[in-house]
Amino acid sequence: MGEAALVERVGGHGPGRPPPAEAEPARPVVRVRGFGKRYRGVPAVDGVDLEIRRGEIHGLIGPDGAGKSSLMKAIAGVLTFEAGSVEVFGVALDSEATCERVKSRLGFMPQGLGLNLYADLSVEENVDFFARLHLVPERALAERKAKLLAMTRLDRFRERPMKHLSGGMKQKLGLACTLIHEPELIVLDEPTTGVDAVSRREFWAILAELLQEKGITALVSTAYMDEAARFERASLLYSGRILAAGEPETIRRLVPGRVVALRSGDPVAAMARLKARFTQVEARGPWLNAFVAGADAAGARAAVSDALAGVPVENLNVMDPDLEDVFVALLQNRNAGGEERPAARAAAGGAPRGGIAIEALELTRDFGSFRAVDHASFRVPQGEIFGLLGANGAGKTTVIKMLTGIIRPSGGSGRVAGVEMRAAAREIKERIGYMSQAFSLYGDLTVLENIHLYAGIYGLGARATRARAEWVTGMAGLSGHEGDAAGSLPMGLRQRLALGCALVHRPQVLFLDEPTSGVDPIGRRRFWDILFALSREEGVAVLVTTHYMSEAEHCDHLALMYAGRIVADATPARMKLEVEAEAGCLLEVASGAPHRAVLALRRAGYAGAALFGTRVHVFSRDADGDLARIPPLLHSAGIEAVSVAPRRLSMEDVFVHRVSALETRDPAAPGGRP
Amino acid sequence: MNARRILTVMHKEWREMVRDPLSLVMGFVLPFALMLLIGFGMTFDVENIPLAIVDRDGSAASRDYAYRFIGSRYFDFKGYLADERKAAPLLMDGKLRAVIVIAERFERDLLAGRPAAVQVLLDGAFPDRVRITKGYISAINAAATRELIAGYLSRRDGIPAAQANELLQPFGLEMRYLYNQGVKSDWSIPPKLIMFILFFVPAFMTSLRVVREKETGTIFNIYTSPLTRVEFLLAKLAPYVAIALVNLVVLWLLAVLVFRAPFKGSFTLFFAAGALYVIATTCIGMLVSVFVRTQIAAMLISLVITFVPALQYSELEEPVTSMDPEGQLITYLLPGMHYVRVIMGTFLKNVGLEVLWPEALTLAVQAGGLFFACYLLFHKRVKA
Repeated sequence: MGEAALVERVGGHGPGRPPPAEAEPARPVVRVRGFGKRYRGVPAVDGVDLEIRRGEIHGLIGPDGAGKSSLMKAIAGVLTFEAGSVEVFGVALDSEATCERVKSRLGFMPQGLGLNLYADLSVEENVDFFARLHLVPERALAERKAKLLAMTRLDRFRERPMKHLSGGMKQKLGLACTLIHEPELIVLDEPTTGVDAVSRREFWAILAELLQEKGITALVSTAYMDEAARFERASLLYSGRILAAGEPETIRRLVPGRVVALRSGDPVAAMARLKARFTQVEARGPWLNAFVAGADAAGARAAVSDALAGVPVENLNVMDPDLEDVFVALLQNRNAGGEERPAARAAAGGAPRGGIAIEALELTRDFGSFRAVDHASFRVPQGEIFGLLGANGAGKTTVIKMLTGIIRPSGGSGRVAGVEMRAAAREIKERIGYMSQAFSLYGDLTVLENIHLYAGIYGLGARATRARAEWVTGMAGLSGHEGDAAGSLPMGLRQRLALGCALVHRPQVLFLDEPTSGVDPIGRRRFWDILFALSREEGVAVLVTTHYMSEAEHCDHLALMYAGRIVADATPARMKLEVEAEAGCLLEVASGAPHRAVLALRRAGYAGAALFGTRVHVFSRDADGDLARIPPLLHSAGIEAVSVAPRRLSMEDVFVHRVSALETRDPAAPGGRP
Repeated sequence: MNARRILTVMHKEWREMVRDPLSLVMGFVLPFALMLLIGFGMTFDVENIPLAIVDRDGSAASRDYAYRFIGSRYFDFKGYLADERKAAPLLMDGKLRAVIVIAERFERDLLAGRPAAVQVLLDGAFPDRVRITKGYISAINAAATRELIAGYLSRRDGIPAAQANELLQPFGLEMRYLYNQGVKSDWSIPPKLIMFILFFVPAFMTSLRVVREKETGTIFNIYTSPLTRVEFLLAKLAPYVAIALVNLVVLWLLAVLVFRAPFKGSFTLFFAAGALYVIATTCIGMLVSVFVRTQIAAMLISLVITFVPALQYSELEEPVTSMDPEGQLITYLLPGMHYVRVIMGTFLKNVGLEVLWPEALTLAVQAGGLFFACYLLFHKRVKA
């Protein structure tokens, strides 16, 4: 990209191209008032106001079904609506004809990995198609294509048919296609969903750079709370309504309070005490987090200590809440989440503890000449939540399938619930529960029918079936929904029903394959609550595969898979320490001109400096030195209002660091990203 | 209207299609294969009926009578059977379709002036064929009877046999079949199949390809682009009309070269009317795709609304005049019959536009009307 063009620019907000003559500079690019959309009479979005300023990246954050797609399609002029008004570039979108007036000036990328691209066309043909559809002159097309493909690192794959690209590459190609006609506004619907963490970071970096350079305004939706930091301003959407809007920092301050993280020798008792006192409590591996509303650091510490009097407590830390804590608090305040307390669980059977529940020894699986899993070894003790982490195609699902006896390993062995799986696949199936990515439920059957079906499959008697059905409905919060069709339930309930079905025969080992995609934060917390209780109170061993880094934080122990191999095997905290030992600690730089700050830092030798919304992240081997060094460095580059603070590493940071290192060492690895 | 945009979409459509094996098969192999499969299979000529004879009499007269059937080109004589009980399993297997049983004392009864008994067993599984077989047997039997009487007359009155034969046919019936002198199915069925195949294949294909864009989400590229509705329809329909035109020529060649149907009229008229016809059927596919969301629904609906009419309401098997009024109305509203008339006119009758102009005009109105309907119903801003 033209670095000079960037340096000329003053701040992060001014447009790079002069605004069209008819638009006043102050006028927002998009103005939505009282927007309402119904599908077959059921409201999907209700009374939403939204304003997007020229040149900003505006985030629309919310779980599945919040109404993000409806709103975005209406703004792109491809969806009718019943209530309110939508104005884009000052044009009121009130008919098909008026919508046509804005279409040459906007780009839209619908939801789904590569779903707006043509599978049988090559990378280059896809770009050409979008360009010519928008009448981009051939010369400009050649120039822009060369640049966009270079930036997205797709130029090596010009001839490759789209269907043979990885998920991350498809999304980068989609972005290039959306930008090829240089629209003033782009609308991207969940561009990072289903993309692995490394590709996701790359996508955000490219997007920020391109938007900045051309002064493009963007509306981007996401279901990941932790992506909020990527936006200059954001709107939180839930159940078709705006919960909060503004800069991420401002939203965060809407709910004052602190999060206290602690470890306890008796986590079950500590959890129960905390739950009785605070509205937001969650377990993250060995750590218990409680949100103390309205308190400062000292107050929060005191409140938690008071609540836990008599329970052994270690390592008590106070932290700022993240956006997800705020989101949940906002929902609880307006009672939109309908958070009923999970019913008391039926008494747990005496669970065997301490034994090894799952043991993989040099597990290997070949598909033809392709080695999907390469000598994977790990152990999961009874009562532990174990996370198998990795990008799509890293081999996670194949490991689960071998351990559950669905496919035979090519080499190595594994014991599950004390049974050698090669010898006794059927016995294993009676001792394990398995919940697949697709929530294997029958959508046309009711909740109870689904439970009874699974009870029947596992051969439960009539009395046991009745007892377990009661347990499942209580555990999953499904009371009152027994007669509803499973397919009509909201995501969170459907997920807990699927979990209940997997637990109906009281297995001692539970396998969960990518269990919580698309579920809202409250639903996700309830899900992890249940897993916590299962593992701590009933001693169930849980193996979870996921490519969501925020889920990894909930696990007691993690194994990171890359190209079929296990490349790291430790607790989350240990993994973070290891990365900090290798790469240094993470510093977050806030400033008035984040785009220029990235460039200045890179020039000064901080090669890994990366933009996160309005902040810049850099790794530092000498934290104290850099804390002192960076502010004057940026001041001398003419950047004002600089503050630098150390930041906790997230699991995503760990994952990106590990996988990037492996990729540079071994770029042609199978199962990694091409 | 912008030609570059139209060409861009057309080009993309074409490339996608030639790279998708399923589309290629549907576009080029399916019509060809259907023509051959149905053309060879669907014949209304009843010949070579497998026949066996049970001759219980074994006399000169019974053999003489039997030879009249054995020698006929309509029957394929499989042999004599000892008695009719042996015939039952063979009829059941379909190895025989007709059995003639000549009773004992056949010759004696005949000479004595009593009616001689002959029993015919027919496989009734295919009613149309049985009716025709029955006709053949009655005709052969009537001819045998007539000759017998003619011989008797000639001997009694001393007149030549030919004269006696004429005396027995006071009404000289002479039939001539126009346009298809041999009443051969091969002359009329394969040309009509051109209509049949080009009714549902283009509709099928178009609806599938457009709905696929909806199903995946690529249709949003169209919705959010400055491409106008007319441009979209033109660009999207053109490749499928072009494929259908290629098929029109291929199927015509098959009818003429493989099935040896005579083509007597103007190819230009046949082709031009065919072009209007395939525009109409392609637009039907487009209309289906406007209303449905999934490929499976598109497949079912376009099959029901094109396959059945092509079979039933298009003069493929029976003329429109033999239908009840509702059937007639449907037939007139659909393009099939109008094009079948152009096909029959150019293949067998050698008539031109002076006779076929109403059909040509109707096809033009239908093609235009269906395109307009697509225009009215296709929107770039949708409700859901």
